[in-house]
Formats: sequence, C-alpha cells, structure tokens
Amino acid sequence: MAYHWDFANVVRYWPILLRGLLATCQLATVSLALGLALGLVVGAGRYSRRALVHWPATAFVEVFRNTPVLVQVMWFFFAFPIIAPFEISAYTAALAALSLNTAAFSAEIFRAGIQSIAPGQWDAARALGMTYRQQVRRIILPQAVRRMLPAFTNRGVELFKMTSLASAIAFPELLYQARTIAGAHFNPIEAYTTVALVYFAAAWPVTRAVYALERRLRVAE
Amino acid sequence: MSGAAEILRLEGLRKSFGALEVLKGIDLQVARGETIVILGASGSGKSTLLRCVNFLEQPSVGRVVFDGRPVGTEVRGRDGRPAIRYREAEINRLRTRVGMVFQHFNLFPHMTALGNVTEGQRTVLRRPRAEAESKARAMLAKVGLADKADQYPARLSGGQQQRVAIARALAMDPELMLLDEVTSALDPELVGEVLRTVRALSEEGMTMLVVTHELGFAYHVADRVIFLHEGRVHEQGTPQEVLLRPTGARTRDFIEGHGVFRLPDAGTLRS
Repeated sequence: MAYHWDFANVVRYWPILLRGLLATCQLATVSLALGLALGLVVGAGRYSRRALVHWPATAFVEVFRNTPVLVQVMWFFFAFPIIAPFEISAYTAALAALSLNTAAFSAEIFRAGIQSIAPGQWDAARALGMTYRQQVRRIILPQAVRRMLPAFTNRGVELFKMTSLASAIAFPELLYQARTIAGAHFNPIEAYTTVALVYFAAAWPVTRAVYALERRLRVAE
Repeated sequence: MSGAAEILRLEGLRKSFGALEVLKGIDLQVARGETIVILGASGSGKSTLLRCVNFLEQPSVGRVVFDGRPVGTEVRGRDGRPAIRYREAEINRLRTRVGMVFQHFNLFPHMTALGNVTEGQRTVLRRPRAEAESKARAMLAKVGLADKADQYPARLSGGQQQRVAIARALAMDPELMLLDEVTSALDPELVGEVLRTVRALSEEGMTMLVVTHELGFAYHVADRVIFLHEGRVHEQGTPQEVLLRPTGARTRDFIEGHGVFRLPDAGTLRS
C-alpha cells in the first residue's frame, strides 16, 4: 500500500498543538493541586471518629473510585448544569471531574501513607508534649509524604493522560486539537501519532525525575 | 517519704482495654530524686502503668497527682458517677515535664540526632534555635554522642539510638523520666552503654520510673523496687528486700525464673 505520509500538515499546525498542550498542562496541574488539597481534607475525614464526618468522606471516595472518569466528565458538563443554576464551561466541568476524582484517589494515598507510620512515632511526638497538629505536621507527614511520593507520581501521570477525556466535551486540549487536524486533512495516523509522542515526551521526564528524587530521599533516611 | 518532696502520686489507678483489665488499682508515691524500678512478667501491666503517667494511655479509673496537682477535672459522667475529664492542653503541659524513653527508641528517622534532640525544644517549648541547639549538643555530649550530632538514626547502632532518645527526653528539662524497657531491644553487647547512661542520671538525682528486666541494674541503681503481678503491686521494698529476700510467691517465681541472676560489680555499671 502506497500511503502518502502527511506529517507536514501536522507540523504546520504546531501553534494549535502548542495551545492544546498548554490547555492540557493547565487542566492537569490545576486539578492536581485542587485534588491534593481536597484529598488531604477527605483523607483526614476518613480518619474521623465522628460518623457525620466519616461517612460522607467515605461515600465521596467510593463514588469517585467506582465510576468511570469519562462518565464523571460528561456528568459535570451535561447533567450538572441542569440542576445547578449557572452555565458551566467545558474547562470547568473537566476541572471539577478531574479534581474530585484526584481528591478521592489521593485521600486513599494519604490515608495509607499515614497508617504506614509506626505507632511509636506518634507516641514519641505525644510524649514530647506536641499538639495533634504539631505531631502531624512535624513528625508524621514528612515521613509519610516520602512513602506517598511514588503513588502521587503515578497519580500525576495518570491525571496528565486523563485530561484527554476532556476532548469528549470539546475542551480544546491536546487530543481535541489532533482530532481537528486529522478531520481537516484526513491524516489521522500522523496527527494521533504526533500527539502520542508529545504526551510521552512530556510525561516520561517527569517520571524519571521523580524516580531520581525517590532514590535521593531513600539515601537520606 | 515526706510529702513536700513528692513529685508523683497515683491513687487507685485502673486501666481496661475493652473487657481486659490491665491495671487493677495501683497506688504509688514517688519522691523527687527517687529511682524506682518496676519489675514483673510480661502482661503484668508495667508498660501500661508508665504510659498512664504521661497519658499515652488514659486511666479508666483513679487519679494521677503530679507535683501536688491532680491532673484533670472531676465531672459527672454519663452514668451519673463521677469521672475525670482531661483537656489536651493540660495533658500536653504535663508531658513537657515528664520525659519518656521507649523500648524501640522511636527516634524521628527524618531528622539527624541533633534534629531529634532539638525538635521538642523548638516546637513545644518555643526555645530560640541557637539556645535549643546548644542545649541539644550539651545533652548529646552528656550521653557520649557529641560526635554523632549530624548522623541520621539509621546510621547509628541501637545503643547509640537509645542514648539519643535519652538526650531527646533530657533536653526538655523533665522533672520525671519514664523508661520503658529501654534495653530490651538491644543486642547484649550494647546494653551496658545504655545502662551506664541511665545510672549516671540516677546518681545525678533525676527522678525515674524504670521498667526493666535487668535485675542487676535494679539491684545496684534502684532506691525502691516494685513487683507487679496481674495489674497489682504484689511486693515492694528496697532492692535487697525484693531481690534477695522476696516474700511474695510470684516475686520468688519471677526471680528464680531469671536464673541465678548475677550481680555485676558496681564498677561495670559506672561510667
């Protein structure tokens, strides 16, 4: 089969792809930041002995862990505006779905990380007279975060790739831009291959960098 | 024991975990400067007793009186009977005055030896950095580890880690030290260095409650020995009385069970 390769029409549109990549990165970083912050709160909530705090936190985690992310994205874009009294942009819908999903997963990572710290560490911190906040901030979290780092890296990379789901609601991130190019020039192989390479080129160095950081932290311990 | 010198008094202390009652009414008075060794088989409640003193475990019934002040406030419980409510701030203040050293050291692995000894001074006592660090260095020197200040715990031997843990507690200027089987997790050849450190503290007049299985240490260092059995004080007295002429049946079994305990020369325990 004599296929006529057409990478020229992909490369020519680099400003569109760049805009898509920036949108992807923005969506990923903002939902990671929001998700981690909320995840810490939800994770702490799952610790609570008060049922009114414990059960909503647990329900939240279970709902978001056991439904597809694509469904969550679609739900926030198509269903949520019907019950909520305001317009919601594709970006906001995608951001809401991905942040909440990340919150649910990171809540579990926080919980497991904190539980992995030996009870003796809490004892020692308490015996010095530290308040609960001081125990967590000075003694428990610094150790737990090191152990959580691999899980959070995985989560960050997953999230970065998951942003492509926002193309389903026409948010112009990287994959959506590729679809636009492929549709205009009938060159899906070139368009999607290029985009795959861009995703890889962005994610891979991050993964490597965190591996290196983990090794350094292990040595310090 | 004169009342004026009393630092700690336990009155009818009981502690249950669910249906299991571990402490069944302990009365104990500790005078300032006293070293009390607590002996007993595993499960007799020794560790729980220590942990009730600084409220790592909250007593189910009974009172802890520290430096003349009862800890907690009496309230009427849900069932109408009197109960004691403990406020976090009050407990934390007590804990700054009571140091504890644990069987498994529990050093903070993400901090150097110096960091471990500085931490409580900075975070809890709010001492300025320079003051906290010079105090920490002095305490590390006192336990013979001045040259290990910048090492992380993972790089230290068990005996060195335990001495850092002792320095960490001392840096808070405690009025009472609780030592919970501080040599039980150590290799035999490392036990001596830790016991010598503890003995030196005792001789300086530090008030200490020491849970240990080292009968030789109890014999030479304790002012008073208490033998716990099934959550009660089974026997107490001077080391000579309890260890050489025990009257309680359980005490005799326990001491015989330890074999003919060899009394080390006083010299080997001295630094």
